Amino acid sequence: MASTEHREVPAARRPALTGDGVAALSAQVGEGPALFARRRAAAARYATAADPDRVSHLWRFTDPAHLLPETLAAPRAAAAPPSPHAEHAAARVLMLAGMRPLITAGLKALAAGLVVKPLAEAEEELEALEAREPAEGADPGSGLFQALNGAAWNTGLYVGVPPGAILDEPVHVLIDAAGGGTLPRLVVDVGRGAQAVVVEEHTGGDAGSRVVSSSELHAADGARLRHVLVQTWGEGVCGHLTARARAGRDADVLTVFASFGGERSKVELTCDLAGEGARSEMIGVVMGAGRQRFDHHTRHRHLAGRTWSNIDFKAVADAAARSSYTGLIRIEQDARGSEAYQENRNLLLSDRSRADSIPELEILNQDVSCSHGATVAPVDPEQVFYLQSRGLDPDEALRLVVRGFLEKTFGRLPGDLRERLEDLVGARLAALQGRAS
Amino acid sequence: MNSNGDAVFSCRDLRVFVGDKAIVKGVDLEVRAGEKHALMGPNGSGKSTLANALMGHPSYRVEGEIRLGGERIDHLPPHERARRGMFLGFQYPVAVPGVSVANFLRAAVSARRGADVPVREFRQQMQAAFAELQVPKDFVSRYLNDGFSGGEKKRLEILQMLMLAPTFALLDETDSGLDIDALKVVAEGVNKAAGPATGVLMVTHYQRILNYMKPDRVHVFMGGRIVRAGGPELAHELEARGYDWIAREVGLEPAAAAAEGSRT
Repeated sequence: MASTEHREVPAARRPALTGDGVAALSAQVGEGPALFARRRAAAARYATAADPDRVSHLWRFTDPAHLLPETLAAPRAAAAPPSPHAEHAAARVLMLAGMRPLITAGLKALAAGLVVKPLAEAEEELEALEAREPAEGADPGSGLFQALNGAAWNTGLYVGVPPGAILDEPVHVLIDAAGGGTLPRLVVDVGRGAQAVVVEEHTGGDAGSRVVSSSELHAADGARLRHVLVQTWGEGVCGHLTARARAGRDADVLTVFASFGGERSKVELTCDLAGEGARSEMIGVVMGAGRQRFDHHTRHRHLAGRTWSNIDFKAVADAAARSSYTGLIRIEQDARGSEAYQENRNLLLSDRSRADSIPELEILNQDVSCSHGATVAPVDPEQVFYLQSRGLDPDEALRLVVRGFLEKTFGRLPGDLRERLEDLVGARLAALQGRAS
Repeated sequence: MNSNGDAVFSCRDLRVFVGDKAIVKGVDLEVRAGEKHALMGPNGSGKSTLANALMGHPSYRVEGEIRLGGERIDHLPPHERARRGMFLGFQYPVAVPGVSVANFLRAAVSARRGADVPVREFRQQMQAAFAELQVPKDFVSRYLNDGFSGGEKKRLEILQMLMLAPTFALLDETDSGLDIDALKVVAEGVNKAAGPATGVLMVTHYQRILNYMKPDRVHVFMGGRIVRAGGPELAHELEARGYDWIAREVGLEPAAAAAEGSRT
């Protein structure tokens, strides 16, 4: 019963998608009839999808109009950049709108059974996956964006790890936001007892760039999946990133998300704990400056018993930046003996920065253990004075306080990943200047 | 230029205000290299305000002159005072969660030197200071003052003082809340710090620590002023007779002597 006055994306402002347009996109990625049929079904949903409801928490902080591309026309294929090399990686992939993904896989990973291919060529794999795991109902929050991506994706990738295979190096996927509309679609299928790390890095782009991405991650029974979602967009990029994971019996999913770039971004992360004993942990870091706006949503759904989830999300906002967070933990009736934790801490570095935090719990079974906590606080001036009295200038003092703020969260990360994120934070902190007086 | 001779620190007609309210009402002090001074006063007399204002705490407005080694520093921000050789040992050291003692010390020592200290050299220096003050080794990886006991915090303050090698060390009630062993460690640290190039001003409520650090000069601070100064014997007299008699002698109500301070 959304009342019309809250509809901020009038249908006219949605980028148009005609039947011909859908066919052109399909032809450009080179998909077969089965995928084309899915694309057309998504286009039908896109045409009828309701506007995001600005009254609900999920869309309270972001106007979806900012995140939509202006046009969904099949992008002109760019000159092919050089293929990535696969050093220190099971595979490296470069994705650009309208271009066949450039894929380089390591021999060791291929020998272990890793499959990395354009999504358009993964019809059989997708059918097998769907036969194993029936598709979910439409995501109520992002219906519009899910439908949009399904109908108009213009670069797609499938990553499959066969049962029992253990990849000791990550699959690194770089998605460049160059151009007006990048709609990447990623499907990751980690088989029973298999182990994999998938790094999804969104980068590049400029003020004209919009990104609407969708990633679907499956961790079968006993599988171990680490999904790293890093956003380092160029200035002015706006976009909507979705990752939906499903963890089977005793599966273990770690999602690390780190948002640094762009102007406006909304990130929605869901993990369904579908099998008994499944575990999911989400660890996130956001650092905003200038007039950046970040909007993150996490959702843990406990569908089976003895499942465990944890969220540790830290946001640092400088200048006039704003970080908004909404997090939902839902424990279904059947999820006896489950545990769910959620913590969101926000550090404000300036008077003009802002942070919002709205945790929500929906608990339908009483035999569970749940907790959540949220704080929004400025830097303690006594900390800065103390550090200053030891010779650190105010910028240095602030950097140290911020690093301290993030330390415990970083401490949960595997070593190589921690180093990478610390470098990104370091680069952002180096830009903190002008307080020395 | 240096009108104070070998004074490492001096202030003249120092006034400290919180808003419009004067807390310190005209203080003159001079500390020379190698000297240990004690500034004693009852709780609430404004001692901590004086100490924090000398370091440049942004909550206070200051009038008058502050000099470090002859150079005016009253217009400088706290980190510039620290880099020039001033050190404040805090009464209540602030916790900085997530920042390890080792990382903090390295940043502080580098800032004081004006150049990054090589890791190996820093480690040796840190280990030596730890051994000297009998600080447990696991301190290095603990977060700065986070979950530290009162005694541990004060030891860490003294350790910082030794590593930063100040020319003027101002210690704000570093003796409070310490058991006798910790008190001795702190006093030894102060005695070590007060070398040929360094002067120390210990701000304290009690005479107890003065038994171990043997001050050269004792100043009695009441109602925002130094109301009496003398040698070490003055501290003993205060210990024996309390503060009220001085208050009466200088014409302050005993209650008024303490009433004007902001922090105890």
